[in-house]
Amino acid sequence: MQEFIQTIVNGLQTGCLYALIALGYTMVYGVLKLLNFAHGDVYMVGAYIGYFVIRWFGGPTSLSIPVPLLLLIMFGLAAGGCGLLGVAMERFAYRPLRDAPRIAPLITALGISFVLENTVLLLFGGEPRSYSTERFISFSTGIHFGHVSIDTVQILIVVVSVGMMFGLRELVQRTTLGKSMRAVASDREAAEMLGINVNRTIALTFFIGSAMAGVAGVMSGLAGIQVANTIGFLAGLKAFTAAVVGGIGSIPGAMIGGLFIGLAESFSASYISSQYTDLIVFGILIGTMLIRPQGIFGRPALQKV
Amino acid sequence: MAQIGVDEWVAQSGGRRDQGTGWRKLLASAEDRVGWWPRLALVVFAGLIAGQLINDVNLQNVAFNGLLYAMLALGLNIAVGWAGLLDLGYIAFFGLGAYGFAVLSSSATGSGGNGGTHLPAIESVPVVVVVAGVVGVVIGLIALRLSGDYLAIVTLFVGQAFMEIVNNIDPGTLGGVNGLYSLDSFHSFGHQVTSPLGFYYLALVMTVALAAILHLLDTSRTGRAWRALRDDQLAASAMTIPVNKLKVMAFSFGAMVAALAGTVFAAQQNTVFPTNFTANILILIYACLVLGGVGSIAGAILGGLVVTIGEQLLSSPNDAGYLFYGLILITLVLRVRPWRYLAAVLAGVVAFGFAARGIVGAISSSAVAGGPGSGGWIGSAVKHYVIVPSSPATYGNILYIVLICALILIVRLHGIRRLLTVIPTVYIAACCWESRLIVNPSITTQIMIGAILIVTMAARPQGLLGTRRVELVDQ
Amino acid sequence: MKRIITVAVALAALTASGCGSSSNNNTTSGTTTKAATANACTTSIAIEGPFTGPVSQLGLEQLDFAKLAVALDNAANKTNVTLNQDDTQLTPSIAVNKTQAVIASPAVAVVGPAGSQEVNAVGPLFGRAGVAFVTGSATLPSLATSGKNPTFFRVVPDDNVQGPQDANYIVNHLKPKAVLLIDDAESYSQGLANVMTPILKKAGITVNRQSYNGTDTGATLNNALSSLVTSQLNASETVTILPWQTASNAQTFGLDAQQQHKKTILFGTDGTNIPSQFHISGSYVSAFGPDISLTKTPLDNSLVAGVAKYGPYGSFGVPTYQAADVVMKAIASVCQAGQTPSRSNVLAAIKTTNIPTAETPLAAVVKFEPNGDLFDHPGYLFKVNSAGKYLSIPNK
Repeated sequence: MQEFIQTIVNGLQTGCLYALIALGYTMVYGVLKLLNFAHGDVYMVGAYIGYFVIRWFGGPTSLSIPVPLLLLIMFGLAAGGCGLLGVAMERFAYRPLRDAPRIAPLITALGISFVLENTVLLLFGGEPRSYSTERFISFSTGIHFGHVSIDTVQILIVVVSVGMMFGLRELVQRTTLGKSMRAVASDREAAEMLGINVNRTIALTFFIGSAMAGVAGVMSGLAGIQVANTIGFLAGLKAFTAAVVGGIGSIPGAMIGGLFIGLAESFSASYISSQYTDLIVFGILIGTMLIRPQGIFGRPALQKV
Repeated sequence: MAQIGVDEWVAQSGGRRDQGTGWRKLLASAEDRVGWWPRLALVVFAGLIAGQLINDVNLQNVAFNGLLYAMLALGLNIAVGWAGLLDLGYIAFFGLGAYGFAVLSSSATGSGGNGGTHLPAIESVPVVVVVAGVVGVVIGLIALRLSGDYLAIVTLFVGQAFMEIVNNIDPGTLGGVNGLYSLDSFHSFGHQVTSPLGFYYLALVMTVALAAILHLLDTSRTGRAWRALRDDQLAASAMTIPVNKLKVMAFSFGAMVAALAGTVFAAQQNTVFPTNFTANILILIYACLVLGGVGSIAGAILGGLVVTIGEQLLSSPNDAGYLFYGLILITLVLRVRPWRYLAAVLAGVVAFGFAARGIVGAISSSAVAGGPGSGGWIGSAVKHYVIVPSSPATYGNILYIVLICALILIVRLHGIRRLLTVIPTVYIAACCWESRLIVNPSITTQIMIGAILIVTMAARPQGLLGTRRVELVDQ
Repeated sequence: MKRIITVAVALAALTASGCGSSSNNNTTSGTTTKAATANACTTSIAIEGPFTGPVSQLGLEQLDFAKLAVALDNAANKTNVTLNQDDTQLTPSIAVNKTQAVIASPAVAVVGPAGSQEVNAVGPLFGRAGVAFVTGSATLPSLATSGKNPTFFRVVPDDNVQGPQDANYIVNHLKPKAVLLIDDAESYSQGLANVMTPILKKAGITVNRQSYNGTDTGATLNNALSSLVTSQLNASETVTILPWQTASNAQTFGLDAQQQHKKTILFGTDGTNIPSQFHISGSYVSAFGPDISLTKTPLDNSLVAGVAKYGPYGSFGVPTYQAADVVMKAIASVCQAGQTPSRSNVLAAIKTTNIPTAETPLAAVVKFEPNGDLFDHPGYLFKVNSAGKYLSIPNK
């Protein structure tokens, strides 16, 4: 039983991170029908920003500011930095391709991914960096019973990601920005004719999506994940899968998809085989998609004639 | 020929092209007059001449790899370019071909490095290709239910599954992570291909034959039906085109081409490993196809050659230097008009550099103490020109960031301001190259590959030889 | 259209000039090499390693130490040897391509490649071309014993030396009832695990053999490792053996165990030997290379100072320093004998390598067996103290 609960905890932590990255994927897809394969690398940059914030304030063992303030600065800078990176990406790489064949931006995204990964390798070297969170947020904080332990960082991850998902949904449903996003998503040209600033809306979509990837990056670092220039690719792939499984374009879908994959991974690693995890997870996914081809939360696409 | 999938603007492009003058007009009209088959013959002729001329083993291998990627891009083009299916599992068929050949033509099924099956290529290759075709049909049948990005996920799984299977299942036969080595060469009827030049010719023959077959396929009923399907599935099915059958066919044909390429690859490498068939290789194949032009046979071949040769140029620091400075120069020549502005900018770059180095050198001699990273004549040409301090790592990193900011600034600026910004930017690029980028050529290669992909797509989204077409976004 | 044609022509011209220059380069530098060697001992060697990709950390460390060896030996022996870099990304197919390029280049010998699977792929090519290659990290025993790689040398003990040493140490000193042994599904890791498992079983220890995907990163990797801690690590398994390529993964595993309040002694091997990344108190780390930051010979001091600017290093750098040093010393000896360095005489000189203990950062004389294996070398063992420092301990 304790093993079962601990497996759920492991899966939730990973699932929330996938979900946060998937939210960015799904937003950009919803608005532009663009698969931004470089999104995972934005997440990687976010993780590095958090690392350098810790270093800036004296390193994990001798922090010069209180931990809550540190967290706030880390999240703020990572969200802002990654958001700007996303906007720059959109402005300089994707905007010229808005009316190009769909496969062209895919190659651009791969190009961006190459540039980001190797720029980080060039500037910071190949060695993985660790936040060493256990030095300033002790493992003994949090909830413990028997062999089950849920530490503060894990609680933080779940709270922040669920909060961000609800915030995002409110934003899309209720604000003017959200309305223009939905308008641009359903018909870009019509939206433009109605006086919506399409470029601004798309840039903001990229900003928000990338900012969430940045937050996910910092939370990964806090959760003890080693930060390296290569962590973006796989995370991006998993998040893409999560977004598709949940129904691409759907915000709750991305969240559920992320959690689903995180849990499937931890359960197959714990109870079936750690070696075949990817195969098992993908197998489950394909089963799901054959039953519901449009994803869990996706609506069946209407074919326009 | 019916121009399906070509919109009106493009359909009239022939008319606009005649507006060119001088040699461009000649070139364009020559291009129109020469038919497809004579062009293919020209390519064959060029390939044979190249085979005779290249006597450097390394270049022969590069040429072989170029043709290999051309073949792979041709196969991918069937599913992606013609039928419009986003196939991310293509790499698995390449691996299937390579592993199939490896098992049928080595000691893998024997024990202790002895025995095993040693079929001649004339038998093993058809077996492998047919098996790949059948697997392609099976996966195509599964993929039928899905479209667009959902299809991408399922095919992605196929690629992943292949890796995990060869890694983990039956290490005795498939070699596990250690792979299979000491494979037979391509041999049939008492002849065998062993030399790099031999493999080059083999790949040339295969590529040309493949291109010819695919051209016939492209202009056939099936080819037209595929394009109809790609452009509008609903309309295609309304016109009684058998959509499902065509999708499965596209998958299966692509799989067969990939498997064929896989057999040659395994024989030439003499080894197969699971890591030969990762997502990175798939990305490279996609890059070949998209750079060349999705949907175009000539484009796929050109893309394969350009990507391989480009990668080869970038992998040697000296050649990468030529490419780096060459690209800057070409960009300036193409973008800065008229000529007197160009001359002014170039002179400005030279003057700015000498002034900057003079001033910095006067302030601190250690700031200019380091030599340029380039060797050869570039190195000696820029020796007294760029600023490279004695320990350049941090300085180079800062320059790199400054360079990126400057590039962004240039895109934002216009007119005379842009020209003025170009001058220091080019100088910073040179300093950054000499102090940092050339020190880690392998990292720089990857950055440059990425940058070239981005810029090419921005400049020509339809690829080098592709045609523009209107796309329906909603699937 | 105009612009496109201009671009195409320009690209073609560029490609042509690039190709032309590359081939020119090779031939000219080739001839100058032959002309100049008579007096100045000028030649070139190549290093193959993973300088980008997932294990770039390992490769860049090897590169730094090889550069250092070339610089130091050039200065000491008055040679003028240049080091060309070939990035293999630890991928055999890339290694094959790069090796063909190296064989076509004027390089007289090669340092690397890093991985056993790469050596399997390129060994026969080097053998056919008569190019000696000295690796500082490929430890699969069959590389030397199979006879397929006639020009292969390594300056590290193979798995058949290191594996039994580690297993016996665990049996004799740590005395666990059961161990958890996790490999990272890679050639190196599985090789060591396969050697250790039967020895442990013979001593009556229950071996729980698991595997995770070593190419995973980030959140996926963390999930796999914490799930292994949750489901596999039970109370009787007082020792967990981690023969992994990546030190930071072992650190993550250790922290996961601490976080889930599970007690076990971690036992890592070469890849985990990076003090700045793997520093779980009470762990053991075996390595094929020594920790030169602890010894104080002049050579070690100069190495430590020489690589200080590059950042942290583990057990991969020092052996690669030694590999490059073997090649450099062989070239110098050829020159001192009044000959021009060529592939055959450098190969012959490497075969007769005999570097005394005082001139190597390794703990014993560097000599090769006829099959290219290192002659009679032990592995090294460290224990991690509570401050995260590595202390050298006897491994018998």
